Amino acid sequence: MKYILMMAGTKAGVDTYKAWSKSDVQAHFAWLKSLNKELSDSGELVANEPLAAPEQAKVVRAGKDCVPITDGVFPEAKEFLLGYWIVDVESPERACQIAARLSAGPGPGGVPTSMPIEVRQIMSRRTDELT
Amino acid sequence: MKYILMMNTMKAGEGVPGWPKKDLQAHVAFMRKFSKDLRDSGELVSAEGLSFPDQAKVVRASKDGTPVTDGVFPEGKEFLAGYWIVDVATPERAYAIAARASAAPGPGGAPLNMPIEVRSVLSAPPPEML
Repeated sequence: MKYILMMAGTKAGVDTYKAWSKSDVQAHFAWLKSLNKELSDSGELVANEPLAAPEQAKVVRAGKDCVPITDGVFPEAKEFLLGYWIVDVESPERACQIAARLSAGPGPGGVPTSMPIEVRQIMSRRTDELT
Repeated sequence: MKYILMMNTMKAGEGVPGWPKKDLQAHVAFMRKFSKDLRDSGELVSAEGLSFPDQAKVVRASKDGTPVTDGVFPEGKEFLAGYWIVDVATPERAYAIAARASAAPGPGGAPLNMPIEVRSVLSAPPPEML
């Protein structure tokens, strides 16, 4: 079963990471790297992508004749996807365990961030049900 | 340049949209053709559709690291319905592709003109973070 684990945050939330000390940031990324290696060694990691900062985000809609209308203004409360992991696991419980490990990544002073991780199943099967 | 195009259109608790079956089929057929065109042009890196928000859980680590699961979300929360990662020559090309996705057909075949969020994908964390 494939699950996506999503890490998201508001612009204000992302700004708090910018205040982390360099050694805290390095410790966090070293920890993420070792978790990624562990998931890729266990064969569970399908994909992982970090995304550019929310400042770079644009929202696009189709205008007349499908000409793109681009806008960069978002509500303050909007959560931006910061990165995701797709894992292929035996059970939903295993997906939750991996998400909990992501949530326990070290923050300032090595204290776990306890950040929320959204977990959803990937839809390969349900798309077929619609057709 | 790699960009992610995100369809953040679903709301908390939503399941399969209550459209007539024919409209759902036309929408899915459009999405399949859209992905095929991008695959044929060599621009598609990956694409996934996600299960509906009624299936979403939020997980946090408790003090001892065990998962704490919750399925309650604020009403205004946007849910990712699906995404495409494309590898394109310019940001404008990414926006043009997003505009096509935005115009996917909805009920009665009318274009949805849904918002598509576009952001570049980092191949690695910024160097100052390593």
